[in-house]
Amino acid sequence: MLSRTADNLFWLSRYVERAEYLARILDATQRLSALPLAYVGSSNEWESAVLTAGCSNAFFKLYDEANEENVTDFLAFSTANSSSIRSCFEMARSNARSVRTALTMEMWDAINGTWLELKRFGNGPTTREETSRFLRWVQESSLRYDGSAYRTMLRNDAYWFSRLGVYVERADNTARILDVKYHLLLPDNERVGGPLDYFQWAAILRSVSALTAYHWVYRESLKPWLVADLLILREEMPRSLASCYEAIVRNLDQLGGAYGRQGAAQRQARGLRTRLQNSKMDGIFQRGLHEFISEFITENNKLGAAVTEQFLI
Amino acid sequence: MRIRVSHTTTYHYDTPPKGVTQLLRLTPRNHEGQYVLNWRVDLSEDCLLHQYEDAFGNVAHTFTADGPFDELKVAVEGEVDTSDTNGLVAGAVERFPPSMFLRDTDLTQADSAIAEFAAAARASAGDDTLSVLHALLTAVNEEITYDTDPTQTVTTAAQAFALKRGVCQDLAHIYIAAARGLGIPVRYVGGHLYRADGVIAQDAGHAWAEAYVEKLGWIGFDPANKLCATDAYVRVAIGLDYLGAAPVRGTRYGGSGETLKVAVQVDQSQWQSQS
Repeated sequence: MLSRTADNLFWLSRYVERAEYLARILDATQRLSALPLAYVGSSNEWESAVLTAGCSNAFFKLYDEANEENVTDFLAFSTANSSSIRSCFEMARSNARSVRTALTMEMWDAINGTWLELKRFGNGPTTREETSRFLRWVQESSLRYDGSAYRTMLRNDAYWFSRLGVYVERADNTARILDVKYHLLLPDNERVGGPLDYFQWAAILRSVSALTAYHWVYRESLKPWLVADLLILREEMPRSLASCYEAIVRNLDQLGGAYGRQGAAQRQARGLRTRLQNSKMDGIFQRGLHEFISEFITENNKLGAAVTEQFLI
Repeated sequence: MRIRVSHTTTYHYDTPPKGVTQLLRLTPRNHEGQYVLNWRVDLSEDCLLHQYEDAFGNVAHTFTADGPFDELKVAVEGEVDTSDTNGLVAGAVERFPPSMFLRDTDLTQADSAIAEFAAAARASAGDDTLSVLHALLTAVNEEITYDTDPTQTVTTAAQAFALKRGVCQDLAHIYIAAARGLGIPVRYVGGHLYRADGVIAQDAGHAWAEAYVEKLGWIGFDPANKLCATDAYVRVAIGLDYLGAAPVRGTRYGGSGETLKVAVQVDQSQWQSQS
């Protein structure tokens, strides 16, 4: 396979995954900001949404204030933001078009259909209901793409590269949510159990579709350290860092096996997976949750770079 | 290096037992220099195989097989990717502070002969912990003759040292006894070795020691081969001594005339280049 094709497949999946993630953050933020002020306190949820998306610099160049209108516009529709939902879908579609023959018909239909339908939303929804509908549509589009990839692609290097993109992006996204909200998850938080925290923890879980999963795993009320445990170390939780790395290692091993050689990307991924497997939550809290997550984000980016270096250029 | 390990323990009973309970420490874990590609545990009897993590962080399995049966076979098999880290073991599961591994056990109690021997090695090496450990490695290797005959699994370090003979397990025990006497934290490691001479079928697993050096961390020392652990080593379990890291421990109800056969095969898997 040409490395250009692999690159397009990898990024196609990353963009679709990122679009879904942005929709999840916006959705969770919308819920949180809809609560009475007495519950959520004075913190600005919209600003933290921009932070979680990792583009606050670009945001504050364009806008003075982080409010619902500005943030929704910036993260969902802005053409000035190269990782808005619209930009993600556009780039995903242009990537897909250049590797049209490496995709199955269903995948192409899913991504092209999404792109065509995006136009229907014009410059963005004007009401909250419309915004919710839009965000749901984004998540469904991503599901359709992901599902058709899973159901129709041949299990060869094209599939593995595309999966790799999904999981590298997903690991990054989960880590970013944790990075912005980590202070809420610290065990020595003074106001543990207050309504503010309860809604915040629920919002974190909701943004990765883990609210029900949490109750299945722990059968307890929401406890911050358990939320952190679920999203970092639990391999059975599909968006946790551990589960993403299980999948990354598996797909890289498949690639290594198929090409008969392995290198820096495999080593980096296995190293990170080993670290996740050998860690316990107490140890992570002791050494600092924030440090752990920042380091993870850096290492995950290094993996992205190693994959690029080894396969994509 | 990609190493394929297959380790089969077969028990044969003249009179079938009513039941057998065993604890297995046969499953390796990942660290920076070692990655387990696949690994499976197979039993010849139908029973519940319960997996857990023991206090040292080893992966352990327990099971109780209901008899009667004439034969019980515990087979593990898998592939591990290793890389050479100059003996350094980083990123492994650490559940205790290093000073815990200064603790003496019955098997690793140093008698006056070992203490003298250790003091001599230290005197020749100076104050640096790392050179003391290397001096000790050479000294143990040269002092003790590798011999599978005279010792058993219950032979203590002091007994083996008096005999001047032993297998890798005894050499590791003597090394541990000597180094702990000098105040260096050391632990016992059970695992597998891909032999440089290409002998694939072995009678047992391998054993060596890991010592803790400030600022460096845990380092593998293999007194049987006078080497620091390389990429030919697959690290399976750690403990204070053999008993803590023993691959199989267990008990049986009823039955008699138990004979045990262990077959280990350590081979290099299909070659893969590292780019």
